[in-house]
Amino acid sequence: MIRFENASVVYPGGVEALKDVTLEIPDGQMMVIVGLSGAGKSTLIRAINGLVPLTSGDVTIDGRSVRRAKGRELREIRSRIGMIFQTFNLVKRTTVLNNVLMGRLHATPTWRSLIGRYRAADVEIAMQALERVGIVDKAYVRASDLSGGQQQRVGIARALAQEPKILLADEPVASLDPPTSHVVMRDLQRINRELGITTIVNLHFLDLAKVYGERIIGLRGGELVYDGTARDADENVFRDIYGRSLTADDVLEAVPAA
Amino acid sequence: MPAGLLGALLLTLWAASSQFGIDFDPVRLFADLGRGREILAEVFQPHFAFFGRTVEPMLETIQMAIIAATIGCAIALPAAFVASRVTAPGRISFALSRGLLSVIRSLPDLLYALVFVTALSVGPLAGILALIFFNIGVAAKLLSETVDAVDRGPLEAANASGAAHVEVVRTAVLPQVLPNYVAYSLYVFELNIRASAVIGITGAGGIGNTLNAQMGFFNYENVGLIVLEIFFLVLAIELVSIALRRRLT
Repeated sequence: MIRFENASVVYPGGVEALKDVTLEIPDGQMMVIVGLSGAGKSTLIRAINGLVPLTSGDVTIDGRSVRRAKGRELREIRSRIGMIFQTFNLVKRTTVLNNVLMGRLHATPTWRSLIGRYRAADVEIAMQALERVGIVDKAYVRASDLSGGQQQRVGIARALAQEPKILLADEPVASLDPPTSHVVMRDLQRINRELGITTIVNLHFLDLAKVYGERIIGLRGGELVYDGTARDADENVFRDIYGRSLTADDVLEAVPAA
Repeated sequence: MPAGLLGALLLTLWAASSQFGIDFDPVRLFADLGRGREILAEVFQPHFAFFGRTVEPMLETIQMAIIAATIGCAIALPAAFVASRVTAPGRISFALSRGLLSVIRSLPDLLYALVFVTALSVGPLAGILALIFFNIGVAAKLLSETVDAVDRGPLEAANASGAAHVEVVRTAVLPQVLPNYVAYSLYVFELNIRASAVIGITGAGGIGNTLNAQMGFFNYENVGLIVLEIFFLVLAIELVSIALRRRLT
C-alpha cells in the first residue's frame, strides 16, 4: 500500500507543487490522476519513487518511508516501481532489447552491466516483457526505428522487466494519436488486472480517465480536490477539478478500436 | 554613437596598439623574403633519396601516436563523465575534475615534452607521455561537452528503475555519446601525428627528431621531404577516419 501523509513539495523557485496531500492507494488498484498541467500530477507521481523529494510530510510504501531512504535503500525501493514516461525516454540509438534490459539493472551485478553481458535469465525476463506488450519480434530493432506507439510499449516492457509491484505512468499517451492511446491504455489495464500491479496513471483526457480509471483523483494547484470512483466523476466534478468549463481539448473522443 | 560602432572602434584601437610592443612593421614582412627564398626553394625540391632514412622515425611517430591516443582516450572516457554536470557522481568530484582538466589543457604539448624529456631522458617514452597528457585534455573536454548535451530522458528512466550510478551512465549515456567518442579518438590520433613533428624538437622521439636534426644541418631538401611525408600521412589518416565516422552514424 502507498500512503501519502501530509506530503508537500516546494520547488527551489518557491512554487508549491504539492500541498499537504494525504492519500492511500491500496495494492492492485488502477488509479488515474487528473488535473490541469501544472496542477502537480507529475510531482505526485515522482514523489512515489523519490525522483522528486518531498519538502514535508512523507510517502510510505508498505510502511517504508521513501523520504528517508537514501542510496542503496532508495534504489531498492525504486527497483520495485516501474515507470513509463510521456516522451518514452528510450535510448534511441540502441536496440529494443537493450532498452528493456535496463529494467534488469537493479538485479544485475555492476561488472556485468558495464560489459553488457546480462544473465540469460534476465534476457529471458526482458523477452517475456516484450511478449506481453506484443512486440517481441522487434527485440533486435533500433528503438529509433519504431513508431510512437511501439516505443511506448518498449517503455512499458522496460518497466515490466523490473517485475514491479507498482507501475507509474506519467502522461503515457500525451504524445500518441487517439487509436494508439487506447491500445496503450488497454495494455496498462491488462497488466493491472492480470498481474495485480498497482497502476497509477496521469491523464489529461477526461474520457480516458473515466474509461480506464477504477478510481480517479483530481488535483488543482497542488491540492487534492477530488477522490472517488470513475462512475461518480461526472462533468460537474471535472469542472470543479479544472476550475473552468470543459472544452473539446479535454477529451480524446475516439472510440476504442475493437 | 551605437554600441556596435563603439565596440568596433575600441577593438581596432586595441589591435593597433599592440604593434608598439613588438615593433611590428608590415614592410619587413616582405622585405626579408629575399633571404627566405633560397631556403623555400630548397624545401620545395624534396630530396627523395633521403626517404629510406625517414621510414623508421616515421613508423616510430605512428606508434607513439597510437599508444598515446589509446591510453589518453581510455583515461579521458571516465574523466569526461566525472567532468560533466549531467553524469558527475557529486559536486566535489565534478569541480575537482573540471579544475584538473583545465590545468592539463592549459599546458601546451611542447611544454609537456620538455618536462618529460628533462625528467626521463630523450626518446619516444617522453614523447608518448607528453602526447598522453595532451590527449586527455582534448578528448575529455570534447567528450564532457557532448555528455552535457545528451537526452536526459533515458537517464531519468534508468534512475527510476533503481540502477546504480555507474550503471545509469553505462546504459543511458554511453550509447548516446559512443559515436562521438570514437570520432574524437580518431581526431586525437590525427593531432598526435602533427604534434609529434613539433615535440620531436625537444628530443621526444619520432619524426620530429629527424626533422629537427635536418634543419640543424641546413638540409632543407630533406626537411622538404619530411614535411611532404607528414602531409600525406595526415591526409591518409583523415580520409580513413572520415570513412570510419560515416559508418558509425
